[in-house]
Amino acid sequence: MQLYIGGYAQGKLAYVQEKLKGQEVPVVNDLHLWVKQLLQEGKPAEEIVLQYYKEHSDCIFICDEIGNGIVPMEKQEREYRERVGRLLIRLAGEAETVERIICGIGQKIK
Amino acid sequence: MVTGGSGSGKSAYAESLLYSCEGIRYYIATMQIYDAEGEKKVERHRKLRAGKGFLTIESPMNVGKIQFVCAGESGQAQYRQEAERKGQCSSEKKSALLECMSNLTANEMFTKDGMKSEEEVVEKIVSEIQTLSQKLDNLVIVTNNVFEDGVIYDAGTMEYLRALGRINAALAHLADRVAEVVVGIPVELKG
Repeated sequence: MQLYIGGYAQGKLAYVQEKLKGQEVPVVNDLHLWVKQLLQEGKPAEEIVLQYYKEHSDCIFICDEIGNGIVPMEKQEREYRERVGRLLIRLAGEAETVERIICGIGQKIK
Repeated sequence: MVTGGSGSGKSAYAESLLYSCEGIRYYIATMQIYDAEGEKKVERHRKLRAGKGFLTIESPMNVGKIQFVCAGESGQAQYRQEAERKGQCSSEKKSALLECMSNLTANEMFTKDGMKSEEEVVEKIVSEIQTLSQKLDNLVIVTNNVFEDGVIYDAGTMEYLRALGRINAALAHLADRVAEVVVGIPVELKG
């Protein structure tokens, strides 16, 4: 599994596609939005994402970094940020590589 | 100094830096607890530190005034007793983890007596951290990357952001090492 993170509109998906050069690999783009939807539906988001990883160990996760702002007033928003952050730490622990994309440039951090 | 966003794993990393420090380890807690969520957060951090030999000092403000006492010195009997019990006072070395700068800055800025200016808060905190640092062999400061959501907040919050940004820059300049924790991975920025 590979993990790609970065701010909004930093060219993460394009970077991954460029790297893949047409290889058929399962790609989960906008992981944060998937987690958000699962949380809104009251589902165990972490469990579901980790289960997906178990079944697709060669997959690529792409996720926005959403924790680098003022802590929101709304409890749900705070929980969303916290849980995405904790999940990314777990995925980063499992990942073979972790890259952070800034201005379309990849910074390999693992 | 250790920075990072919400849920980035910066606290766990900062704590791990302290474990290699000999002598007495202090945890300077700056968070003021207002509700159950705050309590939960503090409880999570307490569990992380449990059994790892930290002496907790609650200091939501005025960190320059903290006195680190050891056996034979006066005051703060509870810390002294705890340190003696753990046999930590045989060493003179003192290390501290201050968590975190974003809380301390908010506490110093938004006080019971009204809001303090950016200028005043930056000057006070940077000076107090230098005072604090002189009393210790090692000081690890956790701060927070709260600058990248692109939101224009009310004037007070924007002033707070500018103050914290300037404090972070000033402390990074003074620090021997600066790391940003990203998804639990420390990325060296300095040192």
